[in-house]
Amino acid sequence: MNHPRWLTLAVILLWMPLVIAADRVTFATNWKAEAAHGGFYQAIADGTYARYGLDVQILQGGPQVNTAALLPAGRVDFLLAGNLLHCFDNVKNGLPTIAVAAMFQKDPQALLAHPGQGYEDFAALKNAPVAFIAKDGQFSWWQWLKVAHGFRDEALRPYTYNLGPFLANRKAIQQGYSFAEPIYAEKQGQFKPVVHLLADHGFSTYSTLIETRVDTVNSRPDLVQRFVDASIEGWVNYLYGDRRAANALMIRDNPEMTVAEIEAAVALMRAQGIVDSGESLTNGVGAMNQARIRDFHAQMVRAGLYKQGDVDPARVATLQFVNRKVGLELKSRLTAR
Amino acid sequence: MQSDDSRIRLEHVSERFPSGLHALEDVNLQVAAGEFVSLLGPSGCGKSTVLRLVAGLDFPSSGRVDAPALRREAAATTAFVFQDPTLMPWASVFDNVYLPLRLAGRTRKEVAGPVADVLALVGLDDFARSFPSELSGGMRMRASIARALVTQPQVLLMDEPFAALDEVTRNRLNLDLLAWWSARPLSVLFVTHSVFEAAFLSQRVLVMGVRPGHVVTELRIEQPYPRVASFRGSTVFQQACRELSAAIESVQQGAPA
Amino acid sequence: MMRLLSWLTIPMLLLGWELLVRIAGIPPYTLPAPSLVAQTLWANFPSLAASWWFTLKITFGALALACAGGIAIAAVFALWRPVEVALFPLAIMLQVTPLVAIAPLILIYVQSTTAALLLCAWVVAFFPILSSTLLGLRAADPNLRDLFRLYGATRWQRLRLLLAPSALPYFLGGLKISGGLSLIGAVTAEMVAGVAGRETGLASRILEASFRTETPKMFAALTLLVITGVLIFWLFGALSRRLLGRWHASTLP
Repeated sequence: MNHPRWLTLAVILLWMPLVIAADRVTFATNWKAEAAHGGFYQAIADGTYARYGLDVQILQGGPQVNTAALLPAGRVDFLLAGNLLHCFDNVKNGLPTIAVAAMFQKDPQALLAHPGQGYEDFAALKNAPVAFIAKDGQFSWWQWLKVAHGFRDEALRPYTYNLGPFLANRKAIQQGYSFAEPIYAEKQGQFKPVVHLLADHGFSTYSTLIETRVDTVNSRPDLVQRFVDASIEGWVNYLYGDRRAANALMIRDNPEMTVAEIEAAVALMRAQGIVDSGESLTNGVGAMNQARIRDFHAQMVRAGLYKQGDVDPARVATLQFVNRKVGLELKSRLTAR
Repeated sequence: MQSDDSRIRLEHVSERFPSGLHALEDVNLQVAAGEFVSLLGPSGCGKSTVLRLVAGLDFPSSGRVDAPALRREAAATTAFVFQDPTLMPWASVFDNVYLPLRLAGRTRKEVAGPVADVLALVGLDDFARSFPSELSGGMRMRASIARALVTQPQVLLMDEPFAALDEVTRNRLNLDLLAWWSARPLSVLFVTHSVFEAAFLSQRVLVMGVRPGHVVTELRIEQPYPRVASFRGSTVFQQACRELSAAIESVQQGAPA
Repeated sequence: MMRLLSWLTIPMLLLGWELLVRIAGIPPYTLPAPSLVAQTLWANFPSLAASWWFTLKITFGALALACAGGIAIAAVFALWRPVEVALFPLAIMLQVTPLVAIAPLILIYVQSTTAALLLCAWVVAFFPILSSTLLGLRAADPNLRDLFRLYGATRWQRLRLLLAPSALPYFLGGLKISGGLSLIGAVTAEMVAGVAGRETGLASRILEASFRTETPKMFAALTLLVITGVLIFWLFGALSRRLLGRWHASTLP
């Protein structure tokens, strides 16, 4: 080797910033790893986050875990918020957090029922004798269902994420994500349940939003932009590309998942347009607009979940990081094949 | 009326407990109607076992025990006074004394008279409503004796009843006990390890030895009743005490210190 | 002087807390100041009071059932030893299995949510009563036992006049423990169930406040829970003194 030593040193010094520059980022989700987190795991598995200079650690949520408190406490950098209600609550209580992207254009919250019991019509659901709704749902969108659609508390029973009681009672209904519980119900109960997407009946919130602290947006906007862009690409790759590595990663985090279940979920996600429909088709995954946020807020005020003036809708989300058509070109390449 | 004069009789009684303890071996004794007999001896000589056999609380491994409690002629023929007053702490003195009658099915109203009488006898008439924790040791023992006497038993068994009391109280209770005994037809079998007490109280003293328990010797105290406190100073008393002490000594020689 | 100081402990702690929050500028969603908690409690009192009442009903309902069950089973065990040998292990199994593990199962098998909550609270509350009452029934003075035998007492008389009064101090000791456990059981069960709607207890309100990041309200509900726990302890202490006052070593001066 004839290179002088100073050249070797220079090369090392040039590469070091790039290596050190990978920012460590923690992202807390709201459940154990599942298809609804696919895009994020994809961006880890196929190196998208790394290419954007991010070293992302995913912190799973779970049935007894409330990860939401970690963001304002400074323990995580980004948080997965299930729907806008969570963001509204934060603004109402003065938490310094803000939404920066909406990965799902449609909220997958749904109600399931047994077939052949008359529940094919959404209006019949409110008369079900028993409705299994989990804790967070009871305190949020169930309240909207009561006001907007006439559901009654008499039917309410706790849903402990065990399908048993629903499967055993043909007249019961329960909550679920439109691409998750129906698959488990069919597998365990050997029947295809009736699924009613709340989004089809006026629950117009965005879902699976990326939330972060206001001071992160102000002091490190570049970091936020990179995380959002990489996540968008992750979702595009996950839905339209090769997701095997991402699935493997999710199964490692949550061994109770199976590849078959994940694939079935992804198929439903695509068919129902959960991630990619409406705005995202022209502006890219993660798209948001203020009018829709304002409208949803108004509906929730009418439903009595908030009092007028509790929440300033303008402070709920910032659009500076989305609507930049990120991922559209990647998507057309993947879907052209 | 008794066909047999002897109220209590043990014939060749031996007692071996399941734990292996050989408490008594070939014990013979008798207590005549109305007699006051003491059992005297060191620890482990089976005195308490004898009382329990007479009360029908235990049964002999061999031999025969004959006593009113075993004949079941009338309820509560036998009364027992323990070294500890054994009062129910949650009940008043009245309720404690009432207990034997209550267990026999008598109502509180019925027994108000008899209970008041026996309380007056032992000197506790002002304390009927008091609780045991409010009484002194001597008063609690009086209450225990009142309870024993309330059923008008034929046999009174006493297991070192005054051992835990101070000397002055003990001497006073000795005198009172003799007064209560002499006023009614009552056989008393009195266990003690005090030579003085045995000599003062009894007509006959049975000295017992250890391992296994057996009767070593018997002494008659020839002193008529009523006995007064000055009896303790008399030659008869002192002679009796000397003889009893000697008997105990010889028994102890065989036993470890 | 010492008595005055002991009364001042809690107010001093609260003052310290208030000062800490103000001086350190801690946001209300992380740690609300006592003044804010008090305000929130006052503002929401009607609805919190309703939840408080529900929690109290479950707690005392379960406790009453635990007393009935614990005493009855202890009496059976005390009078018939073979039954005790056969069934006591079951009682122990119930006690050591953590409630958070059993509660979801109970919620699945039992139809009515209120009945399920009562059952959960009962499971944690009944064992101390069973075990202390049984100990108490056995603790009867052996000489008294002999006395009862001597006077020909029936089994029932023995239980009523000797065993039950002997067991009373022990039972009351178990009751003090079970009172607190019953409250914990009721709260834990509701946490697992996450019951919302018409009839909800303080645990649901805490959960709800937690999910909606309304930390001052969470603390307000917690304050009510703490007060309940203290009240229960004091109540059974007073009951003990009343019943045992004149005669038991534990309450005599």
